[in-house]
Amino acid sequence: MRVLLILIPFAWRNLWRNQRRTLITLLVVSVGVWSILTFNAVIRAWSDSSLAGSLKNMTAEAQIHAQDYLDDPDMAHSFPEPTGELLQLLNSPSVANWAPRVRTPAIIQSEYETLPVTLVGIDPDREAGVSFIADSVKQGVQLKDAKDEGVILGRHLAKRLNTRIGKRIVLMANDINGRLEERGAKVIGIFSSSPTMEDSFMFTGLRPAQKLLHADGRLSEIAMMSSAQTPLPQLVTMTRQAAPGLDIQSWDELQPMTKGIHDLTEGFIYVWLWVMFVLIAIGVVNTQLMAVFERTQEFGLLQALGFRPNWVILEVLLEALQIIGFGVLVGSLAAYASVYFLQDGISLEGLSAGADFLGIERVLYPRLEAREFFTTVIVVWGLGVLTALWPARRAVKFNVIEAMRST
Amino acid sequence: MSTILECKHLTKQYHQGDTTVNALQGVDVSFNKGEFVSISGPSGSGKSTLLHIIGSLEQPTDGDVILDGISLRNESRRELADIRLNRIGFVFQAYNLIPVLTAAENVEFILQLQGVDRQARRARSGELLKQVGLEGLENRRPGQLSGGQQQRVAVARALASHPAIVLADEPTANLDSKNSDELLALMSKLNQESNVTIIVATHDPKVIAHTRRHIVLTDGNIETDETRAA
Repeated sequence: MRVLLILIPFAWRNLWRNQRRTLITLLVVSVGVWSILTFNAVIRAWSDSSLAGSLKNMTAEAQIHAQDYLDDPDMAHSFPEPTGELLQLLNSPSVANWAPRVRTPAIIQSEYETLPVTLVGIDPDREAGVSFIADSVKQGVQLKDAKDEGVILGRHLAKRLNTRIGKRIVLMANDINGRLEERGAKVIGIFSSSPTMEDSFMFTGLRPAQKLLHADGRLSEIAMMSSAQTPLPQLVTMTRQAAPGLDIQSWDELQPMTKGIHDLTEGFIYVWLWVMFVLIAIGVVNTQLMAVFERTQEFGLLQALGFRPNWVILEVLLEALQIIGFGVLVGSLAAYASVYFLQDGISLEGLSAGADFLGIERVLYPRLEAREFFTTVIVVWGLGVLTALWPARRAVKFNVIEAMRST
Repeated sequence: MSTILECKHLTKQYHQGDTTVNALQGVDVSFNKGEFVSISGPSGSGKSTLLHIIGSLEQPTDGDVILDGISLRNESRRELADIRLNRIGFVFQAYNLIPVLTAAENVEFILQLQGVDRQARRARSGELLKQVGLEGLENRRPGQLSGGQQQRVAVARALASHPAIVLADEPTANLDSKNSDELLALMSKLNQESNVTIIVATHDPKVIAHTRRHIVLTDGNIETDETRAA
């Protein structure tokens, strides 16, 4: 400890003997840390927005189905509307929002075209916070309630059907007994979303859908969002316990592709971290090696005066520790300032069509998470100092006499 | 007078390709406490090698050095570093001060490593710098001092920890005549006042004239070892 207290100010003074080199190293470390943290915050905002977009595309965080529904999604695999323990859980603080749905393959026919579609009967009030449909109706009106018999079509589907608001269409679908049923309905709204959603989904009230399919009191799925107080895996477990006969799956099981893309983005962040770290390490090793070679005579002198070899190593490491620490501090503050500056969001309005296509929101909100912030800082600092062990060990490899003779 | 340093049959061989250079060929010599000794000899005679081995900066091929009762033969690098820190003072030809420290800090640095408290360090460095005539220049860095002044700081540093011996390798080689005279007068004075053993490797006749005992090395052997009457 005593030696450490001597060496800390000694190392600090030595750092500033070559100000230009120290400042360049400082710049490399600072820019590296700044870019890791800022890039991380922006990419994570992108990734989270993309995930949120995917979840809003009718997946939500978890879904409840009858067994076998996912393999054969028709009303033959439906389940009764929730009661008892399941209803109690869905209405508990563990669940932020939940929405009951009837969802079945159907045929939609206009005066000009007949197309396949997924018919979804919804309670529009319950879809808020669960899916995109609650706030995506751009023309016409939203369904009033679960009893509304009107239909809402995607913009692209309406175009392909050559229909519009106020026109009537015909819906055909197999009912719960497998018989083909049909009914006419009026287009009351057009929604805007990703091309896939606009093409494949149409919405009507839950009750008319149940009536069409002769499935009163039955559902195809319940979509739900966990609350902040209950992590999703815990909610899934609780739901499985509350409804043992039903199939409960979280979004990553329902959409492994989305999970894969999300994981890939996470991986990309780590790849960037390592690329930047390698650049930082090269900067630090270069600086420290130069410093060690330039001061070989001095390290010989210090050992001649009674410096133990490990004190020389410690001295070089302390120099690295300080310059990296200072760089990390400057880089972190710069990253914090950058993210603070972007706290109102990065607008993608100029890319709105692309944003819709990619299923991300039009404003990204970068944020620095404490855990990632400290992990990055500690990893860069710790590995940077470990990297400096190489030049530090070189500093004591020289024979004292040879070292003192060097110029 | 008690013996402070004993060299027993010191041998040092260097290998340069296929050639073996015998820098020291079985040197036996003792030094008493308080002696001021010069070692001279032609280039390659082994005087610097002898000084380095005595100072534990190099290991002999054979033989041993007993310093203040401690054999240096089988000590580890760390133990040798501790011996240098606590028992040996060095004055080098090229001053060799630590450039980022002031004159006072260069003197105090050794004491600091020894764990001497701040107040005692300050007092000791102040006293030594005053003794070497550098009062008022304590806060100057080596780059702000002349060669003679730097070498005085080096002498003060060598004496700071009350070492058993001070080893000086060509201490006047880079100094002009006036500074050489002043440094030698200073070393003689400190030798008498501190009763510290000073061993100087030198070519300089002025240095030899200041010392009472003079050893001449030739081809790694002691040719003469004379002590003049006081």
